Amino acid sequence: MASRPLNDEEVLSEMNKMVAFIKQEALEKAREVKVKADEEFAIDKAKLVKQEQQAIDAQFEKKRKGAETAQKIHQSTLTNKSRLRLLHRREEHLQSLFASARAQISRLANDEARYVEFLERVIVQGLLYILEPSATVCVRAKDKTIVARTLDAAVKTYNDISGRQVALELDASLSDELAGGVKLVSGSRRITLNNTLDERLRLLEDRMLPEIRYDLFGPNGNRKFYT
Amino acid sequence: MAAQQSQGIQTLLEAEKEAAKVVQQARQYRVQRLKDARTEAAREIEAYRKVKEQEFSAFQSSHAGSTQDAQSIIDKETEDKLDQITAAYKAHQDDVLGKLLDRVVLVEPELHRNLRKQQ
Repeated sequence: MASRPLNDEEVLSEMNKMVAFIKQEALEKAREVKVKADEEFAIDKAKLVKQEQQAIDAQFEKKRKGAETAQKIHQSTLTNKSRLRLLHRREEHLQSLFASARAQISRLANDEARYVEFLERVIVQGLLYILEPSATVCVRAKDKTIVARTLDAAVKTYNDISGRQVALELDASLSDELAGGVKLVSGSRRITLNNTLDERLRLLEDRMLPEIRYDLFGPNGNRKFYT
Repeated sequence: MAAQQSQGIQTLLEAEKEAAKVVQQARQYRVQRLKDARTEAAREIEAYRKVKEQEFSAFQSSHAGSTQDAQSIIDKETEDKLDQITAAYKAHQDDVLGKLLDRVVLVEPELHRNLRKQQ
């Protein structure tokens, strides 16, 4: 510090020094503020952008997944429809096979020798099922005479196989529209056994389906186990 | 002397005022920067969203094309299999019909297996 009062020059220089000092301080402070401002600018911007980017990504990811799922559903629906068409076609063929079978069984009754044998066997089979002491054999009107001749043989065969006796009656009550065969009625008309050609065919249609399918369409590609 | 003093003080005061102005400008700059951060961020976000939209529509159009193909491929396969089925049926129907009709008249009368022949 000056021990004597300052002269004019010194005062001026001191003044300038102080002014410069003030200016310098201001500039430095301003720079600090600007630098901090730029930093905050960068941080804020990055944060906002990242936030929104994540939101947008999530949105589009959801859309994409939705589209993929819809596509998978579509594909699965197409495959299902295709399978149904195939099954439908197979079923159509089976039905037409059965229809032609039903049309043809009426001709089975025409071969007289075989038909007579068939009738006898069918009566015996029925008797062996119902195991009654008496029965009524119902046949078509046109079969009445043929069957009358086989009744005794049927009773004998029944006895040979089962050791039992049976009393048979003949009844020509079946409709002529049927293809042939017999119906047995017994036990005060409470037991009936339908052994006509039509009924036999119907049962076979149902029971033989696996075999028919195998013979017509070949083995099943999806099947893994055969007992 | 008093005049000189007041002149000095005046100069200092003005310097102080200038300094304050400079700092004030810096502060305004800061405020502006914060606003800019928002607007620039919004712009970048918008640009990003457009890019993603384009990606997505490209993906969509490519996948829509594949859907059409899937349909026609499956249809063709189905037609082939249908023809196979009908061909197989035609080839075997007579045999199976014969087998079916033979079984209708095939009768093997037998006693139930739990029973014995009565004497």
